[in-house]
Amino acid sequence: MNGASGVQSAVVGQPPAGERRQAWAHVVSLGYRLLVPASPVILALGFGLYVPAVLSLENIINIIQQTAFLFVLTCAQTIVLLTRGLDLSLGPSVSMISVASALTMTALVGPGGSNGIVAALAGTASGLLIGLLVGAFNGIAVAWLRVNPFVATLASMNICLGIGTSLSDGHPVFGIPEEFNVAGYRLHVLGVPMSIVYAVAVGIALHLLLQHTVVGRSFYLLGSNPRAAIVAGWPRRQLLALAYVLSALLTAVGALILTARAASGAPNLGGGLSLQTIAAAVIGGVSLTGGRGGLGSALIGSFFITILSNGMNLAEIGGYTQMLVMGAIVIFAVALDRIARVDV
Amino acid sequence: MSSTAVERAALMERLSLRLGVVGLIPFLLLLVVVVMTLVEPRFYALPNLFNILRNTSFLAIMACGQMLVMTVGGMDLSVGATAALTSVVAAKVMSSATETYGVGPGAAIVLGIVASVGSAAAIGLLNGLCSALLRVPALIVTLGTLSIASGITFMMTSGIPVYGLPQPFITDFGRALWWGVPAPAYVAIAVVGAVWLMQRKTVLGTYIYAIGGSSHAAMVSGIPATLYIVLTFVLCAALAGITGLLITAQMGSGQTNLGGDRLMLLSIAAAVIGGTSLRGGIGRAEIVGLSALFLSTLTNALNLLRINSKKELVVLGVVVVAAVAIDSLGRGKAAVE
Repeated sequence: MNGASGVQSAVVGQPPAGERRQAWAHVVSLGYRLLVPASPVILALGFGLYVPAVLSLENIINIIQQTAFLFVLTCAQTIVLLTRGLDLSLGPSVSMISVASALTMTALVGPGGSNGIVAALAGTASGLLIGLLVGAFNGIAVAWLRVNPFVATLASMNICLGIGTSLSDGHPVFGIPEEFNVAGYRLHVLGVPMSIVYAVAVGIALHLLLQHTVVGRSFYLLGSNPRAAIVAGWPRRQLLALAYVLSALLTAVGALILTARAASGAPNLGGGLSLQTIAAAVIGGVSLTGGRGGLGSALIGSFFITILSNGMNLAEIGGYTQMLVMGAIVIFAVALDRIARVDV
Repeated sequence: MSSTAVERAALMERLSLRLGVVGLIPFLLLLVVVVMTLVEPRFYALPNLFNILRNTSFLAIMACGQMLVMTVGGMDLSVGATAALTSVVAAKVMSSATETYGVGPGAAIVLGIVASVGSAAAIGLLNGLCSALLRVPALIVTLGTLSIASGITFMMTSGIPVYGLPQPFITDFGRALWWGVPAPAYVAIAVVGAVWLMQRKTVLGTYIYAIGGSSHAAMVSGIPATLYIVLTFVLCAALAGITGLLITAQMGSGQTNLGGDRLMLLSIAAAVIGGTSLRGGIGRAEIVGLSALFLSTLTNALNLLRINSKKELVVLGVVVVAAVAIDSLGRGKAAVE
């Protein structure tokens, strides 16, 4: 007892090196936390110095529109990342949902585009249903069969890839009803394109879910301290499965608006989206070990990735060099995150 | 009294775990072989068996590397891109050495192997340094290097195959039969054997298991964990490079999209079906080799049954999830977090 208080008084007199270093770490961490939200802007300004066209109003609107798609899918990825999982099946399931919903629509639409509204609704419903199935598969595999999320979604990724490319033999599906295209992409509400309207709606819904519902908060707990969730007697498995289902439903929404933009069911629509969304989320500050991140990180990350690729396109940097730069920047951003951030 | 009961329980658990890990794959393999015997006589044709053997060799080598990285708690998504980079570098170096500099075929092959496996190892070094020193998750690092390696590969070739490999490299090695067996099989046996020996008999192997079990505990007990993690990533990339070389020698040209993502996915599947834990600390070369044989036989069987490569993906996905689910459920409660 006496000894302990003696040590403490010595500490008060002169802060030891360790404490000072910790104080510095907090300052660096604070600076970094301010830097992250600013990073897309800094990136855009940096490109703007080199290629003024990047900062033109037209291009900024273009960037915002492009970001809307990636943002919706990054939100989907973020939900599972929060639970210390990840979803590699996101990209291929985007392709599969795109093709399947397009096939549903083309089967129902009458000659000359009649019956369009029914077909569009049925296509949307089938897309969401397939999303639900993919989510249920992932959720059951991860929560009940105890398969590692990486392996489970790697498997469902292969399954989605296989189904998505076999459904239409790898060909794009044309003949989508006009109504779907208009409602999903071409319509403007008060001058704002539909893709942005959907993105805002998804963003608000996600924010409400994650910050203001017990289920949303439980996703954070599942990621940051799964044992605590078990000890507290939470229905851990059900919640985990729910995270995968919600994520897959959001993926379906993203797939549907992407399909509307393409005006066709495209079997290669998803491409590298799984990894792109993971990269975007992580750059925005979502932790791969779960429990950290949210709406803001998805927004920052998807803006960052879109601006990076838009800027490189306008700077006429070749596709192969872009791959190289993208890879290096993802590693660099995450390394910086690891070094600079102190979790309080 | 109670301590012997505990010991006995622990022994039983270890036994059942061992049976669970080893027992599943031979059974599945047997199942595929029996089904194929019943429905497709071409399965036993010698060229087909050689085909399976070649694919098994390619996959087993790469999967051994993948398994090593998983054993220290990482993973490597860049193996496929690394193999493609190796293929292109080897073809470029060998063809320019013989055509431009007039080096003899033997020396050109050696140069090509050194340069290409060296560049693969460089990718591995980058993976290892970023994940061990900067503590970036292996998933993100190798995702980045996947992009970097394919970028470099495409920049070097614009996607066009690189021809001009020295003939002996193809005819005496890649497509050759040594004592009646395809040459890559010997390389694969050597690699799997070496990794097995390393894991069982050397301090390095023990260290790798220890780091995977708990890198903190390993560091506290004086194992330079960072060094060994980097080393594992380098080994994995080098093994991916060797796979790339073998496929190049068989194809007869340097390919920019050699195997593509398929090889990477199969290598992860082989490692995971072979009982390697993604949480680290568990993984054995001989079982991974066996599961490579199983996966190659399965894909070959699906091909013979005219199940196209797209539907094959669906089957592979189901098999992976089923195998891993059975494995992790078999391990009981201990597997939860």
